[in-house]
Amino acid sequence: MSETLRVAIVDDEEPARLLVRELLASCPDVEVIAECTNGFEAVKVATELHPDLLLLDIQMPKLDGFEVIELLGGSQHVIFITAYDTYAIRAFEANAIDYLLKPFTTERLRSAIDRARDHILRHEPLPVDKLLGSARPAQAFLQRILVRDGAAVTIIPADSLDYADAQDDYVGLHFGGRTVLKQQTLSDLASALDPARFVRIHRSYVLNIERLRKLELYAKDSREAILADGTRLPVSRSGYQRLQELL
Amino acid sequence: MHPIFSEPRRLISYLLAWLPAGLLLALPFARAEGGTPKEALLVALPLSALSAFICLAAWYPCKALPLRETSISRLVVAFAGAAAFSCVIWIFFGWQWVMRLSGLEGMEFAPSRFARQLPLLAATGLLLFLLSAAVHYVLIAVGESHRAEKRALELDLLAREAQLQSLRAQVNPHFLFNVLNSITALITADPARARQMCVLLSDFLRLSLRAGERERHPLDEEIALAAGYLAVEQIRFGRRLKVEAWIDRSAGQVLIPPLLLQPLVENAVKHGISHLLDGGNVRIRAGVQTGRLKVEISNPCDPERPRASGGGIGLENVRRRLQSAFGEDARLDIQAKPDSFEAVVYVPISQGDPP
Repeated sequence: MSETLRVAIVDDEEPARLLVRELLASCPDVEVIAECTNGFEAVKVATELHPDLLLLDIQMPKLDGFEVIELLGGSQHVIFITAYDTYAIRAFEANAIDYLLKPFTTERLRSAIDRARDHILRHEPLPVDKLLGSARPAQAFLQRILVRDGAAVTIIPADSLDYADAQDDYVGLHFGGRTVLKQQTLSDLASALDPARFVRIHRSYVLNIERLRKLELYAKDSREAILADGTRLPVSRSGYQRLQELL
Repeated sequence: MHPIFSEPRRLISYLLAWLPAGLLLALPFARAEGGTPKEALLVALPLSALSAFICLAAWYPCKALPLRETSISRLVVAFAGAAAFSCVIWIFFGWQWVMRLSGLEGMEFAPSRFARQLPLLAATGLLLFLLSAAVHYVLIAVGESHRAEKRALELDLLAREAQLQSLRAQVNPHFLFNVLNSITALITADPARARQMCVLLSDFLRLSLRAGERERHPLDEEIALAAGYLAVEQIRFGRRLKVEAWIDRSAGQVLIPPLLLQPLVENAVKHGISHLLDGGNVRIRAGVQTGRLKVEISNPCDPERPRASGGGIGLENVRRRLQSAFGEDARLDIQAKPDSFEAVVYVPISQGDPP
């Protein structure tokens, strides 16, 4: 069986895209269905055209390669192509099929494509949870929260998040008067954020401590947090303890 | 405060060195009619100890009137006055001391013997103070030359460091591997451009190697270096990277440490242009303003870009090099806005520079 592999090339540098396209021409049964110059386009193309394989640069404007993978939720087969060798471990943790270092030979690209074809034909499922967790370096806290709605991507810098609340299978992200839903549990989000700035004040609420204006006691053992914009959020007993530790 | 007080051991050896002077001073009192060795020592030793401290005071006028910047007449007036004043103080306290001694048995005539030595004492006081001033000037000059030597060494070290860092920056994956990758791509797609990129890269590497060997070079050459780097990056980034440069004729010949601006130019591309979908302009502007060279390097930024890791080590380095090359006369100002970044370097124009 010879199934054609549908590939999208993602790189912000034109010569780099040229090179991949040219070398792919010598690989049999590969069709380049799109070229993307940044992470936004890559997410759009992956969502709308469902390529079998992304050939993905890491350093790009707006979204880097790892953020693209995080947004696509791990359903996408990927080969990273980059000049950095320092990302290799992270790339394989993000379940990349291969990791090519610029510059590379035709043979190297061909073997990576072959490996990808093997993977895809065997329909190996990708462990989604692992992918999501590893798209961020282990030691760093989340700086930007990325939300995908279809092909559209919203970037919320962590600093500008006011608070987040649990809404069934989603978290509601409240920032600057806007609310965006993201499919994620509140615990997952809370563990990714910097604990010196974000506090789980309640089972269903995570608060950016810089937005807190005051705490009010309105019944025995139950308090309310009043934010700078007047929003009132419930504070549980354990949430109050966590707040006190931080303040 | 006189520097000698910061080191107790130095102070003690200084005071011990005054002991022979005290003994010498005792001689005229011992020889005087009716004088005894005991009385001579009791008068002369405290007197010389007092003189030791008064002589240290010469440090202050020496500090306040640097030899090179003060006219001779001013020096003469200032030190004559200071010497006379210190001499009067010395004799006054000496007199007080001798009056106290006269209460002791057998020393009733000490004041009158002291009074007879007054001309000698006055001359000694004046001479000691002036001698001390001369010694202080010598010590200050020695200290300055040590400091200048140390600064030159520091400068040398920093320049070497910068050269090393610049070399490392050119050989890091971000630059060299990406450039080689572009060349690999262009070899078949656009051979002429591939060749051009090889030449540009070689020119840039050669220029930066040569620049690193020198202590100072004209701004024009630094700009040529930056232009070489940007030309290479322009092939990678295509239309996204645009460069505007205005260099005033008067600024081009000002001497600056080599590769001083290079980290700023690289940052403009790495943290600015490379994060923008549509790219933008790197602007370099240089001119002479109120006797100083002013170089501005600015670029647009993506407000949503991830914060740069590494925390401005490059900027700190530029600042340290400026400091060690020009002291307080040079400055690096940073204006970081969400959507733009500007670095402004001020460098004093030295006398060696052509106007």
